Amino acid sequence: MNNDLKQQQIARINIYALLSRLTMSEVDEGLLKSIEEDENILSFFPTYKTWKKRDKFDRKELIERYLNVDFTNLFLLHLIPYESFYMREDQMMETGGDNPVQAIFNAFEFKVELDKARVMSADHIGIELEFMYELCRAEMKALEENDIEIAKQLAQLQYGFMKDHIVEWMPMYLLNVKNEAGTAFYFDLADFTLEFILSDFEYLSALKEKEYKYIA
Amino acid sequence: MYLQSRRTFLKGAAFSVAGVAIAKGVFTTDAAAESVTDSKFTNTPDTLSFYPDVSEWDSFKELDGTDWKRGGIERHGVRSAENPDGIQVNDYTIVPTVCSNCEAGCGLTAWVNKNDFDKGVLTVRKYMGNPLHTGSRGRNCAKGYAVTSQMYDPDRIPFPIKRAPGSKRGEGKWVRVTWDEAMAVIGKKMHDTLAKGDEVSKKQIMYHVGRPNENGFGPRVPQSLGIDGYNSHTNICSAGARQGTIQWANDDRNSPDWGNADLIFLQSSHAADAGHYFQQSAGLIADARKRGAKMVVIDPRMSNSAGMADLWIPTWPGTEAALYLYLTNRIVHEKDKDGNDLVDHKYVKEWLNWDRLMANKDYLQKMVGYGYISKVPEDDSYESYIELMKELYAPYTKEFVVKECKLEGMEYKLDELWELFVPAGARISSYLWRAGAIGHRGGWMNTRTGFLPLALRGAMRGDIGGVGMHHWHEISVAGKGDKATVAGKHPAKTDAWNELAWPPEYPISTYEMGFMLPQIMMDDDWHAKWTKRGLKIPKAISVYIPRMHNPLWINPDGFRWMEALKREDKFELTFNLSPTWSETNWYCDYVLPVGLAGERNDQQSTPSKPEQRIEFRQAVLRVAAEKSGWKPKDPTRATLEAHTKFGLGEVWEESEFWPNLIFHYVDPDGSLGIRDYWASKKDPSRCVTVPEYFDAALSLLPRLNETAKKMYKGEEYPVYSYIRDHGCWTEKTNVYKPQEDELKIEGDYVYAHGHKYEKNEVEKDQFGALWVQDGKFMKSIGIIQDKEVLGGFHTLSRKLEFFSEWLTEWKWPEYAIPIYPRNKAENDKMVHLVTQVHHKHMKGDNEFALNTIYRLPYNIHTRSVNSKHLMEISQNHNPIWIYTKDAQKLGIKRGDAVKVQIEDTLSGIQSGYFIAMAVPTEATRPGVLACSHHAGRWKLKDAVKIPGFEHTLGVMSLGSPKVSMTNDGKVGTMTTTEGIHPHEAWQFKEYNRDLDDIWWNGLSGAWQNAVAPCHPDPIAGNHGWHQKVILSKAGNDDKIGDIHVNYENNFKVYKAWRDQLTRPLTASDKLRRPYFIKRPVKPSQKAYEFNIKDV
Repeated sequence: MNNDLKQQQIARINIYALLSRLTMSEVDEGLLKSIEEDENILSFFPTYKTWKKRDKFDRKELIERYLNVDFTNLFLLHLIPYESFYMREDQMMETGGDNPVQAIFNAFEFKVELDKARVMSADHIGIELEFMYELCRAEMKALEENDIEIAKQLAQLQYGFMKDHIVEWMPMYLLNVKNEAGTAFYFDLADFTLEFILSDFEYLSALKEKEYKYIA
Repeated sequence: MYLQSRRTFLKGAAFSVAGVAIAKGVFTTDAAAESVTDSKFTNTPDTLSFYPDVSEWDSFKELDGTDWKRGGIERHGVRSAENPDGIQVNDYTIVPTVCSNCEAGCGLTAWVNKNDFDKGVLTVRKYMGNPLHTGSRGRNCAKGYAVTSQMYDPDRIPFPIKRAPGSKRGEGKWVRVTWDEAMAVIGKKMHDTLAKGDEVSKKQIMYHVGRPNENGFGPRVPQSLGIDGYNSHTNICSAGARQGTIQWANDDRNSPDWGNADLIFLQSSHAADAGHYFQQSAGLIADARKRGAKMVVIDPRMSNSAGMADLWIPTWPGTEAALYLYLTNRIVHEKDKDGNDLVDHKYVKEWLNWDRLMANKDYLQKMVGYGYISKVPEDDSYESYIELMKELYAPYTKEFVVKECKLEGMEYKLDELWELFVPAGARISSYLWRAGAIGHRGGWMNTRTGFLPLALRGAMRGDIGGVGMHHWHEISVAGKGDKATVAGKHPAKTDAWNELAWPPEYPISTYEMGFMLPQIMMDDDWHAKWTKRGLKIPKAISVYIPRMHNPLWINPDGFRWMEALKREDKFELTFNLSPTWSETNWYCDYVLPVGLAGERNDQQSTPSKPEQRIEFRQAVLRVAAEKSGWKPKDPTRATLEAHTKFGLGEVWEESEFWPNLIFHYVDPDGSLGIRDYWASKKDPSRCVTVPEYFDAALSLLPRLNETAKKMYKGEEYPVYSYIRDHGCWTEKTNVYKPQEDELKIEGDYVYAHGHKYEKNEVEKDQFGALWVQDGKFMKSIGIIQDKEVLGGFHTLSRKLEFFSEWLTEWKWPEYAIPIYPRNKAENDKMVHLVTQVHHKHMKGDNEFALNTIYRLPYNIHTRSVNSKHLMEISQNHNPIWIYTKDAQKLGIKRGDAVKVQIEDTLSGIQSGYFIAMAVPTEATRPGVLACSHHAGRWKLKDAVKIPGFEHTLGVMSLGSPKVSMTNDGKVGTMTTTEGIHPHEAWQFKEYNRDLDDIWWNGLSGAWQNAVAPCHPDPIAGNHGWHQKVILSKAGNDDKIGDIHVNYENNFKVYKAWRDQLTRPLTASDKLRRPYFIKRPVKPSQKAYEFNIKDV
């Protein structure tokens, strides 16, 4: 497996992991420390990097006074981070078995631990991003085992999932988050996520155009 | 373009933390079984069946709630013997019941899961609303949905407990007893007391009822015992409002038609965000506002209601009467835009008793003497009455009300009020209750004056969108199951008068002076004084029975309560019929666990709109079990047996407990003549059952009776069956202005209010009122107007009484009309009417009125203490509200601990202080602090060990901090030592898997009730809750929640209010109380006779 490809795939895995985690639950002190102490991660949070409140409060206070409040506003109360809300004409969340994203997970024999995720249905932004993370990991494994056919199928699946789902609604939601965010951290997270998913969709589109001929 | 930045994202490969360590990992693999589609269920439910049709209630099948985690039924199908991995289908019996958390009585349905009924398991999965209930209309507030967490509270007392032999009250040592063991001891004590048969013994058993939430069963108990022993809690909640309404209409309170009003006229947050009848009222108010109705809220505090009102007027607390009389002044003097008088002359002329005032020259002369008017009117005409009104209320100008209500800078609000008030015409709805009416000395005048402008505009007619009377819309039959008993009739009224609840200083109180029971019991001088004059007052209460009540905590001067309840010479045997742990339990001899909303059998009726409706609270596990074929061994104990068998514990309830106690233990051989009132007519060898009793009681409703007998043809108890299956019944809708209904006259008889009178025994007086002899007294039954014989109001005049003639005879002539002091001299003289927190008493920047009377919408006094859902949303919600600029002056910031020192303005005596957390806000008016008295629970121990029982019982471990306490008979202190530590959920584990998530520590409130001295209003008898306080920053050693009380001083304050303000009965008085005005559990006319000598 080509090193560039490997680096790219690791990057995708790590970023999807990070984004899914941060959009699914409140950030905790440990993760915030990791973000702040890793220049590579912190570079994706440029406004937060220079946010003055960081000088005034320690991480615990920052989380309790600002970040959790903002998370609640953006992910629980006033914005609705679910695909069905954005895709259905009636703007109702589909929490039953007829949810199209749920149907995909069912088809792949994936079960989402909704109570662990603390979300209402499987089409939550954090779940969809974690699904991409899982697919990227599987693709990586296939590539490492030189099983190109499987890797190709997984990349096709990623492309399809992004095209039919993620790209269809997530940008709208993330733009809303950027508008509503009350902290540098979640503003940056929305911006980062938006840029990354569009970038990744372009990457997957290009890969498709090349008929999934990975870099040799 | 995003590919151009793609390189940036390659940094992701260099993250120091790998994705696998960051991702939450919420995916698992789950190989799907063959899909099973043969089911009535769809992958996503077509509808959310909050309320399936009533025909499905006996067996309603629904996918388990975890369905949503499983990805729909197409994943694994529905569970069956052949498909064990499928989704569980729950089989519910939906049993209607009624919430018991506040007085609103909203309908509930208990969803009783009977999947494992065959294994002896029944559980209530959830409580929802009851869509058949025409008041609550399927809706509930947070307290209604929290009933599940109350029912399965891990700290529920699972069986009767008794103070351990050898221990003292308050030591917290308990042993387990059976219900029969407890009843044997209690019953014998009651029997021995009653067997004496003398006057004193009829005053020695006291049934002290908290929130009754039922309509008549409780009063039937002491009445059947032949005692004067009923003691309600009205004087800490509503006496002021009741007094004012009784003076106007001889009715308990008013009854608004919110839904059809054009102006919602609220004093305080009551009705729209708490209290009578919150949720039902709030929904109707919301409907009205959607239709375009306006809302005005008069309240020193910006409540939720005030925050969304069209107009908020933050009057100084206790001065609202000035505002109402200002409206009156404008109404009698001004005209509408078309030049018409604003007074609805036709209505006023017909239905206010102006004629009696104008005919009473002596009183008119007195009014001149009081300075109310300059001269006696020349004639008795209506026109002269209107002229009198103009002169009488002319002093209540805008300038006056701005000064009196302290609305400087807010004058424009009075103009806005007028602009809202006048266009609404007679469609103004109001509910004057609690807050201003209970918080103050003279609070009753709030109601008296508040109804006046409404009456003048015709809004008190009880017509559409206006204000009716409470009893028009209430049905009380729970005490009338007499036909099911051997006696077959209602118990006779007792000849005894209990001075412990009805002391001679307060002859017109509304009602029992229960909040000062310890002061009365511990005051030997008072006892000696009245005994010397000839009254027979017990020195001790033989059996004291709080019922769903926590008097030690909720009443003022809590340390005095503690001292009193510890005195075994004063309270010989005590037992609390209590659904939860409480502070009072701690000082009782027995705690007998009784049921909550879905564990009781009560008929209730809440007049939340102009209709007549009943609701029926029932023991849902019993009902569900019986519907599934279960039968109790003893039908008179079906509820207790069901609760024991199906895992709730030995939890009982009063409608089975009292008949059993009396039948088997109080009067086992019938020698006291009591047993027959509870013995079953069907089977006299046992007491009545719930179906027998309530079928008989509810059969008194004609339409229900007719409907039920058709629907349940052939059943033994058709009316009971109807109410069991539906939970509620609306007997009559659109009940408007019944006072204008004609009396039925047939042949030689007149029919009035369920009674039949011979025409020739009816006398008409000069004002048209019709009178008949009622024993030793006369009573009026109707009124002739324009040749029509109408029922009228329930006053003696059969009209609304602007002039309370009887009040003049009962020693308070100067207050017999709606009045409020107009100047400083009157303010000082009319001390009985002027609030103890009047702004004249506030001298320095640190002196405030403390507004304590508002409910926290998610708590209910004491019984919600361990509901984890309600506790979670109520944490830290009861700070001291202080106006921003007041806080700035004192250097107080948000979160500061402040010392709130209580000082009585009548005696100048200080009571002590409590420490609270300050929150500066614009939402309370300048000079007025706010801190609800509904918080600050405490306990002395975390848990109780019961000898021989394998588990320890947690004590309020989800809702109350632990405290340390000192009290030496004079001074009491309390300080919190530990916060919340959830006790092990040894029972109801399935419902308490989230105890680890409890984040609150409970250290959020002080027990301010203990610091407050008793403030008995000399007329209504209400405890004036509000306090003058002196505010300062807390000292270094003080912490939030601390209290320090000099309750010896509190006793002096109580005596000052009693001795300086009341006008007690004397040897010249021949009656204890006006016979015609309301009194719960009225004794006989003989009991009303009063004969003492002056000493």
